[in-house]
Amino acid sequence: MRGTRFDEEAFFRAIGASGARALVIGRRAMVFLGLPVLTADYDFWLHIDDIDAFNRAVEPFDLHPSRTAEEARRRGRYVLANDEHVDVLVARSVPTVDGVTVSMEDVWARRQQVRYADDVQVAIPTIDDLILTKRFAARAKDLQDIRFLESLRDET
Amino acid sequence: MTEQFVPPTADTIRRLREEYERPLTPEEYRAQSAIPLSAEEIEETLELVRWFRARYPTGAERSAYVREAIARWSRRPVG
Repeated sequence: MRGTRFDEEAFFRAIGASGARALVIGRRAMVFLGLPVLTADYDFWLHIDDIDAFNRAVEPFDLHPSRTAEEARRRGRYVLANDEHVDVLVARSVPTVDGVTVSMEDVWARRQQVRYADDVQVAIPTIDDLILTKRFAARAKDLQDIRFLESLRDET
Repeated sequence: MTEQFVPPTADTIRRLREEYERPLTPEEYRAQSAIPLSAEEIEETLELVRWFRARYPTGAERSAYVREAIARWSRRPVG
């Protein structure tokens, strides 16, 4: 059972106030766009230079990094966890299964803001960029998510 | 007469999860992604999206719905 004391609104507010270039990706971003898919985790793509700022922002939520910032930079990802589980991708760029190189800085530059609450915005990739991130691992579940996102893209 | 629901075994769930989360090869990805979206599939997705957005207008409400759904599913019995 997941913890119920986690203040998600304060979590996103703290990340926004930290100045860290952090994009919500994965299914949580799909949920913010209006797709009712299930996920238990939080996935972020964080700028590689903003690890310390991000970690400081989420420390009050008892979220502790699995690796030092230096190790995370070397490996390209790390995890923050307690009752919640936060996957953090920190690679400068990631190739898709079909050979497209996707740069964090480019995705960040094209980002969109979604209204989380009255005074809290969350940064997520555009739908096209979210589809690209789903092509990093390209699991069966990602293919289904890509179809959902393509359907949503056709709406706009 | 309706049949009683028999929950899947833990082993079945594990095998399904493994297959669902297995990275595809580039060839598998190309073959799967070449299947076009049908107008019906798009409309079904958009209908769901319209309901979800109307019922849960903010990101906070949408995320709370998902957290509650996950909690409900985690309480379901497994055979």
